[in-house]
Amino acid sequence: MTSVPGTTQIIKEDNVTHSFCGLASVGWLYQKIKDSFFLILGTHTCAHFLQNALGMMVFAKPRFGIALIEEGDLSRQEPALDDVIAEIKADHHPSVIFLLSSCTPEVMKVDFKGLARTLNTPEVPVLFVPASGLTFNFTQAEDSVLHAMVPFCPEAPAGKKSVVFIGSVNDSIADDFRSEAEELGIKVGGFLPENRFDQMPAIGPDTVLAPIQPYLSRVVARLNRERGSKVLRSLFPFGPAGTRVFWEDLASMFDITVDLSERENAAWKRISKQVDLLKGKRVFFTADTMMELPLARFLKNVGAEVVECSSAYINKKFHARELEALEGVRVVEQPNFHRQLQDIKQEKPDLIVTSLMTANPFVGHGFIVKWSMEFTLMPIHSWSGVFTLANLFVSPLQRRENLPEFDESVWLKGVMPSAE
Amino acid sequence: MRLAFWLYEGTALHGISRVANSMKSVHTVYHAPQGDDYITATYTMLERTPEFPALSISVVRGQDLARGASRLPGTLEQVDEHYHPEIIVVAPSCSTALLQEDLGQTARHSRVDSDRILVYDVNPFRVQEHEAAEGLFTELVKRYSLEQTMTEKPSVNLLGFTSLGFHLRSDLVSLRRILKTLGVEVNVVAPWGAGIEDLRNLPAGWVNVLPYREMGPGVAHYLREKFGIPSVHGTPMGVKPTLDWIRELLEQLNVVAGEKKLPALEMPPLTDFSLDGLSAPSGVPWFARTADMESFSNKRAFVFGDATHTVGMVRFLKDELGMQIVGAGTYLEKHAEWVREQLEGYLPEPLMVTDKFQEVSKKIEDEMPELVCGTQMERHSCRKLDVPCMVISTPTHIENHLIGYYPVLGFEGADVLADRVYTSCKLGLEKHLIDFFGDAGLEYGEDGSERASNGHAAVGSSGHQEGDGAQASGHEGDAYGMPWSPDAEKMLKKVPFFVRKKVRKNTENFARENGEASITAEVFKKAKEALGG
Repeated sequence: MTSVPGTTQIIKEDNVTHSFCGLASVGWLYQKIKDSFFLILGTHTCAHFLQNALGMMVFAKPRFGIALIEEGDLSRQEPALDDVIAEIKADHHPSVIFLLSSCTPEVMKVDFKGLARTLNTPEVPVLFVPASGLTFNFTQAEDSVLHAMVPFCPEAPAGKKSVVFIGSVNDSIADDFRSEAEELGIKVGGFLPENRFDQMPAIGPDTVLAPIQPYLSRVVARLNRERGSKVLRSLFPFGPAGTRVFWEDLASMFDITVDLSERENAAWKRISKQVDLLKGKRVFFTADTMMELPLARFLKNVGAEVVECSSAYINKKFHARELEALEGVRVVEQPNFHRQLQDIKQEKPDLIVTSLMTANPFVGHGFIVKWSMEFTLMPIHSWSGVFTLANLFVSPLQRRENLPEFDESVWLKGVMPSAE
Repeated sequence: MRLAFWLYEGTALHGISRVANSMKSVHTVYHAPQGDDYITATYTMLERTPEFPALSISVVRGQDLARGASRLPGTLEQVDEHYHPEIIVVAPSCSTALLQEDLGQTARHSRVDSDRILVYDVNPFRVQEHEAAEGLFTELVKRYSLEQTMTEKPSVNLLGFTSLGFHLRSDLVSLRRILKTLGVEVNVVAPWGAGIEDLRNLPAGWVNVLPYREMGPGVAHYLREKFGIPSVHGTPMGVKPTLDWIRELLEQLNVVAGEKKLPALEMPPLTDFSLDGLSAPSGVPWFARTADMESFSNKRAFVFGDATHTVGMVRFLKDELGMQIVGAGTYLEKHAEWVREQLEGYLPEPLMVTDKFQEVSKKIEDEMPELVCGTQMERHSCRKLDVPCMVISTPTHIENHLIGYYPVLGFEGADVLADRVYTSCKLGLEKHLIDFFGDAGLEYGEDGSERASNGHAAVGSSGHQEGDGAQASGHEGDAYGMPWSPDAEKMLKKVPFFVRKKVRKNTENFARENGEASITAEVFKKAKEALGG
């Protein structure tokens, strides 16, 4: 892993379609940060998106809601949110309210920063989170949320060296990271985000920031700039190779030299069956969750052929090591879906990793698919995630082998009359 | 500005997409920011479409706005090249509608013939799903329908069947079966599965059939004015409404037959409508008279949904099953007046008209009916309240997009509805046993996570999209906030578990009205006496 960064060519196309806007992040973040409320200043469309595409049901007391812009509100450039905020505070007693932007108020040129400032109180901060589809993709609004939380991380004094893991993961994954680090002799300063807004990690010049999700470049850059924290520039901790490199690189930042190759070998051994099945398989990523680079790199490590690895946004610095590792792979940013359809037709990949919007139609065209969104919701991090990660790719391939022959002229009849 | 958590009706774009996804060679291009094509997922996931829905997006990005660039012409060309549609519908989203761009003008910069581009520029802040869907459908029918020679044999157009409609597929099968029995041909089904050629051929049908209040009447009105095609408006939901619907249809068809000097169609023996051709077409009339159903007659039901299904269900419950209606409502304000007229004499109180699910949930909590018929949201609310609920209207959950044959229209639809009512409610004889013997060994804990003999809990556990729903319950135990003495709690435990919550609430209300601060065994006894056990 020593080659010069930037050797992988990134093809830039014109847009990402068939993926979600940044509001999708609300789906996991409101559950992660348990004393928060996510308020979206948006329209009927935003509400319809959250309740339909994400299948998010409102619970007894949902901790997200939409300040609904209706026709009568369009003439006002300064939306009056005081009543809405009062209602949220009375019903939910949050420690923090995240005020998310969406497309319509951005077109209306609502001054979100000013708006958040007027609603903000020392007791309950109201933090502006840019999330609209005019700028942000799917997972990217998590970056915006963490970015907004930075001022609330206490300053860690110099001289106390510890790692803060950057990225929202569930408790069991967080525990794994913590115990793994401690075993290696690395002091853990915490996670951004923690489960509660009132328990933010201290971050300072001797903090090492270890991003564990591949879509958080802005918050990391900000902390590096404002707090002088050091940034781990490594592979992301997915798959045996990525996990080994991640931990070895992190340890070295604490002047600890470890050789985890045995650990890596053991991990490969555990998934040897999966590796055999994936070896030589041709896989296509259409771009959705921004987890594509490390996932494709894992497949390359396995010996699969990545036909195309598309992602919504690629940050040459933040993703440098992954890009290096993907050398020789067609990497596309902001892919054009029509071009992808043509290529897929010609190249006939064995597996397509794609969004909820396109998965079943690709199956209808005879391909085997994996929902890309599953990778954002499954425990695939670090050593304990290796097995799950490998199986996510293997299971659709295996399952298809076990299903009977399928004559589409018979069994698809009437399913979608508009396509017949 | 109001705080919304969940909304019943979909957006205008959703309505437009329902029509586009229903039709052959009609493609919609949204001029919208990234993510607004989330709508595609509702088709690929709920209807499990094996082909890409005819929906594309010309992405509007912040930087494009700054530069004044538009991807619309390029997207139109790509769509044309890839899908070869006969017509491309261009629609703005809520945010791009505010930009007040002339989409027609921009679209003309593409190489696609402008005759094949229809800019459907509805105001997304004023128009919602159903109005947008019917508006686009009508627009397309106006554009393409042509004077035709009527079909030789009696025929109908089935109008209003649309992608993501409630139990759409099964209802279409059910009505087609009835028509086949009558010897009536289906000229065109639209928009579901219809192409441009089918729209041209609409005027060849003898009669338009439009079972849905929300989708179809506009088109039928146009076809009557322009081509003189009569229409049958009723919804065949329930046995009698189905018989009435068939009679009206025959009557209308026979007018045309008379003009054409063809023999009149006759009502066949009713057994002809059954699956085997030998039996009664529906089990409902006998079922409703059985001793078993007798114990249902005092059950109280609340109905909430769109216009068509709310009306159909209230009538079915009251007229055919003899249940009590404690209230009904709709989220479609535009159709509320029609619903009121249709339900004249059926409701003990004014029709509830709201698009706030919290108000509906509150109403259910206040009434604690024995059956709620609602949308997926009411099912969710009812799960928390431990009230039986069946879904009878959109918006729906993936659980309502099953692959089996579950119509709600026609004779077979009546059977399905009756079965759903029966299995949703607590059963009659069993209820008496439980009442008599206390819990009758059926105790499953107060959270209602498991219940006997109604299959409801099993359905809940399979709904992965609602997987966390169960976590929401369990707060009800102390929801009303009055302290209970251990003695009183013990007595409450002896009340059958499925009415326990209701008894707890009623007792606390009684206590409050009588100035008691807590529930002791004494208060509980008094309440029991006062409230009649």
